[in-house]
Amino acid sequence: MKAFLKQGGLLVLAALVVADAGGAGAADAPPPAPPRELPALPSNLPGWLDSKRSDRVFHKRGSFNFAVYGLKPLARDLNAVTVGHAMAYEDLVTGKASTLETRTFDRIDWILKNPPDLMPDEAAISPTFGRLYGVLEQVFDWTHVLHAQTVDVLASKKLPEAEKDRKIEGLWKYYFESVPYAITPLPMNMAFLDGQPYSGAFRKRYPKVNGLFWGYHWLQGVMYDALYRVPAIDQAASYALIGERYHTAELHRTDRPFMPMFAETSPRFAARFPQIANAFDNLHMLHDMVNDILASEWMTKRQKEQQIKRAIWLVSAAAHRDEARGDRREARGDRREARGERREGRGEGQEGQEGGMHDHRFFEGMPGMGLMKGMPPALMWMEGQGWMSMADCHHCTMPLWSGKDEWRNPTVSAEGWTMRVRCALCARDMSAETKGKAILRIPTEDPYRLLVVYADDQGMKGNMPGAVFLEKEGSHAGCDDWSRAFTGRAAFDAFVKQHPEYLGAKPLSFEEWAQRQGEKPDTYVKPDGPSENPYEEGR
Amino acid sequence: MTCAGVGPSLVAVARREPPTALSSAAVGTLVCGCLGEKGPSGQERLKRRPWAAYVVAAGLLASPVHAADHNNLDAGRPLRFDDAEPLALREQALEVGFGAGWPRRGPLGAGLQAEYLYGFALNAHLSVGLDPSVGGRSESGDTGVSAGDLSFGLFHQLRREIRSAPAMAVRWDAALPTGRGSRGVDLRLRGILTRTLSSPRAPGSRLHLNFDLGLATHPGRGERQLNPGLVIGYSRPLGYPRRFTRTGLAELAVQAGPESGTGPVVSLGLGLRQQVGVRSVMDLGIRSDVAGINGAPRDRLRLVAGYSYGF
Repeated sequence: MKAFLKQGGLLVLAALVVADAGGAGAADAPPPAPPRELPALPSNLPGWLDSKRSDRVFHKRGSFNFAVYGLKPLARDLNAVTVGHAMAYEDLVTGKASTLETRTFDRIDWILKNPPDLMPDEAAISPTFGRLYGVLEQVFDWTHVLHAQTVDVLASKKLPEAEKDRKIEGLWKYYFESVPYAITPLPMNMAFLDGQPYSGAFRKRYPKVNGLFWGYHWLQGVMYDALYRVPAIDQAASYALIGERYHTAELHRTDRPFMPMFAETSPRFAARFPQIANAFDNLHMLHDMVNDILASEWMTKRQKEQQIKRAIWLVSAAAHRDEARGDRREARGDRREARGERREGRGEGQEGQEGGMHDHRFFEGMPGMGLMKGMPPALMWMEGQGWMSMADCHHCTMPLWSGKDEWRNPTVSAEGWTMRVRCALCARDMSAETKGKAILRIPTEDPYRLLVVYADDQGMKGNMPGAVFLEKEGSHAGCDDWSRAFTGRAAFDAFVKQHPEYLGAKPLSFEEWAQRQGEKPDTYVKPDGPSENPYEEGR
Repeated sequence: MTCAGVGPSLVAVARREPPTALSSAAVGTLVCGCLGEKGPSGQERLKRRPWAAYVVAAGLLASPVHAADHNNLDAGRPLRFDDAEPLALREQALEVGFGAGWPRRGPLGAGLQAEYLYGFALNAHLSVGLDPSVGGRSESGDTGVSAGDLSFGLFHQLRREIRSAPAMAVRWDAALPTGRGSRGVDLRLRGILTRTLSSPRAPGSRLHLNFDLGLATHPGRGERQLNPGLVIGYSRPLGYPRRFTRTGLAELAVQAGPESGTGPVVSLGLGLRQQVGVRSVMDLGIRSDVAGINGAPRDRLRLVAGYSYGF
């Protein structure tokens, strides 16, 4: 018996080890000599970057868990995103890169059009990728848990709106403190992260699949403002429009100059939770860096492993633990040098300058968005929109609400973008100037009761039949005062009572308000940026 | 169980079948062993240690990993092997199963298995199980109702899969003699290897090796005190690349006969795990002992159906 067991066990063990032959083999073929110098891997990296265990942590407990399944179309689309990422990664590391734009794309596209009802087991779809880059998978997984749970909170029908912010703060704490795999909550300089020797390889070589990836990132951003403080009963209608846009336009775009940034698609949520917005942008950037590394055939397998490890380190919370939002250069060099993390190669060599690994500046008015290529903190460039200040209304250029009143900024979502504006009139008129369908989110006097308006060529529909509007048009220097939405007549009267200058102003019903159109804002200024298109520079 | 002269407790321990007769192992045990072929001496022994089977069964129930995913495999749900994945830290799971066994001799047996799992640390989880049963029991021949043995398990992952090296884990189980007629504590140590196979035709398929060593602290006369076993498991997600909710399983198990002088029992099993909810999985399994060397006891058939819920 013993002999039998021994012999059998050895045979099977041998089978286990040999069985992999076909796997990553194709990716192991010696590539040509590296034509580009690669940044060195920092020394004294933390041990968790070499962890050999699964190290999985379960979701933070809460009644909200899996509430996203109450919004089935969104849940299914998110399930499909998981499959899409995993299939592409697996094919990249198993020698099927040559058919990524054809067979792999078709397989993923089928899933995106027929999304699974339940979340698939990603490990079963990309087992080779997981075996090669296990720690990277853990970083992805852990941040995806935060993704999933924040959406669950927003989609929860059980939690009062006022409680959701606190739950999300708790989720962040859980995410940040449970394991070392957290992504930094600080804004990162995207030009630095996307300025590596391998950057851009994936999008150039596989534009269709890259378009899908960036389409996923668009969805994973835009869904937050689609749900944030939107009453649960209205979320399905919101996602119907978002989902339509996702499937018909965003998913298959191949002309984006850069990945969609979180604050471009969900500025209200990003302003309220900048740490989460930054972590998601940094996560998505890590995805892009990994894509580029895997698509760089001139790199050896060993180099790919090292550069992926370095990419994880660059965006990890551990690499920035003594730093603060707004830091622009190496401010605590002594401490970092003591940890052996200083001057470790060309990439990190930039850390003593603006625009390097430790540049945590952000766009003015938007702490949840790191700087991007060729853009100063005062101005952001957005495709199709040009230069704009994220601190100002995109309709009248007057300063947006800020600080504790930040929640008072309405937003307009149309044609794939979401912009913050200063008042209800700016939201309405801005949507009228855009083509197709739009969603307006207009705060009322109650921070937790948001007026959601769906607009198209046929007119507008709102979610609050009793809403009443104040609109006593004057200079837009004061539009944050004279244009407001209220949950009802009583709130309108209370406001007027406190603001005698509006005595006699007519309380407008939703229908009356929706029919109006204001004058062109007298305050509007089109900002001039440092270039026409920062992504065209140096091409 | 044994039916055939094999010490029941050993069989139980070795198989780690859930105590109730019906979870895969349980059923096996119950039914099998017992109801099956047992000589007078064996029967006597079985009467003394019916819990052993439960312990075993409990072991199976107590399983590892994200119990709530169809592709994460726990012993007993529905076959007898584990994969090398633990529950996530702070994850909890409840697993219940119903089993029916058809021994070569004796009445049908049936049992329930219930187990609670908790990820108490990174890469490790604890389990507590109980497996009440009724009807034919392999170990004792008793057909009365038994509350089953209370079992405790500890699962610890040593490493995940890295490149071509398999994931490794160990688990320890102990079953207390709380069931009807049980006596002594049964212990088991299981080594687990899991390796993904790179087959383009069966993406995501995995091979699992479980090495068992059972120890009966109070073996009966003629029973083995140490009982080794080996289970080779295979799992494969079904429906890929369009469906992601089902996993098929197969196993080949070789277990030393529980009684000195008997040879090993060889058994085959097939199973299916179906995701039925975000965190819930149903499973179905069928097993049969295809060979019993030197009079080792065999089961004709065991059927198992179970449900796992993670939270």
